Amino acid sequence: MDAKPTAASSREQLLKRALVAGGALTAGGALIGGLPRVASSAPSPAQDIRVLNLVLLLEYVEAGFYADARAKGVLSGELRDFVTVVGAHEQRHLTFLKDALGSKARKKPRLEFGNASTDPDAFVAAAVTLEDTSVAAYNGQATNLTRAALAVAAKIVSVEARHAAWIRTIAGKPPAADATDPSLTQAQVLAALRKTGFLRS
Amino acid sequence: MSDLTLGEVDEDGAIGEAVERVVGGTRADFLRKATVGGAALLGALALPPTGSAATAKDVDILNFALTLEYLQASFYTEAERVRALRGKARRAAEVVGAVERAHVTAFREALGSAAVARPTFNFRGVTEDQRRFLKTAVAFEDLAVAAYKGQAPRLESDALLSVAISIHSVEARHAAWMRYLFGIVPAAEAFDEPLARPEVTRIVASTGFIVSGGRTERKAKPRFTG
Repeated sequence: MDAKPTAASSREQLLKRALVAGGALTAGGALIGGLPRVASSAPSPAQDIRVLNLVLLLEYVEAGFYADARAKGVLSGELRDFVTVVGAHEQRHLTFLKDALGSKARKKPRLEFGNASTDPDAFVAAAVTLEDTSVAAYNGQATNLTRAALAVAAKIVSVEARHAAWIRTIAGKPPAADATDPSLTQAQVLAALRKTGFLRS
Repeated sequence: MSDLTLGEVDEDGAIGEAVERVVGGTRADFLRKATVGGAALLGALALPPTGSAATAKDVDILNFALTLEYLQASFYTEAERVRALRGKARRAAEVVGAVERAHVTAFREALGSAAVARPTFNFRGVTEDQRRFLKTAVAFEDLAVAAYKGQAPRLESDALLSVAISIHSVEARHAAWMRYLFGIVPAAEAFDEPLARPEVTRIVASTGFIVSGGRTERKAKPRFTG
């Protein structure tokens, strides 16, 4: 994972001190509805790989979706601004996660977007779903990651939240209505992705 | 009078006393008071995170977050009171203000007697003009995102981390919303960088918005919205 030189030493310290979830996850998790359990084990480098592959799948879908919309070239105005800026961000997230995972990175899924990359209303609805799902997926995995990996993932999740608020504003939906953002489990994330119909493999 | 830094505000003697408990009222108490969505997760703040005491480090981090939430909540509350905002900015201030106040309530509940007092603020007129309000809101929200990002991975309790990280992304939504209303790109970079606590403290102090630590021993009448 990348690390700013200045933060590297403190991250290593964090890693060394990395707290075993153990009782915390059980006691807290039982009471916080929907706390994710991608795995029941404590955070570990091996579990980081599983978690990062989950969010890599999301980044594949997001980056692929926006790239397709840009290639089709139908969107205009605010939506074109959005797809240009956000598409570039998702591509960088994708590259970053693939590099971080190296040979452990999952393969690119086959994707089809139907009319969502050309019809403005369908595009907005899909973008809202993808961005909100992405925020909830990253948040949901926070305690499953080692603290060092979390520090890096946190740089991405807030950008996804900005994207979500942006597209929701364009859509005339409340960008942020609640005091906390919901979390989704791995199973819920995969179900949300399947529901889009974009995943073909 | 204005030389008090956020760091000083944050160094509350009560922290040491209450190391043993990060828990204030009960979850039910908080849920009764909550007025906005997301309360169920916020309510988890008021639970013993591990079945035992929260660490001193976690209490300290929560108080730092509380101070930032005081700053934001007071800012939006004052903006609502002076009624200088119009249209979408006014609506955004109402929604975001309610959320920041819910964050304050949740942190205060969680910290109980260890909670730092609300400082007295002087926003120097930025709430009285729509452009200045939005510019300040953008700065506050972007700062909050960077501050939570710096602190969340330092939390030792997983339960507290779950809450902090879900507040972190809400602050990012607020930041994007205010940036949109101000007319700048809501998401400027592919990666949001964290800010270390001393840097956040320095930035807040440089605004001059905190004019007193709000300690109970201060006898001066509050002159400003706090």
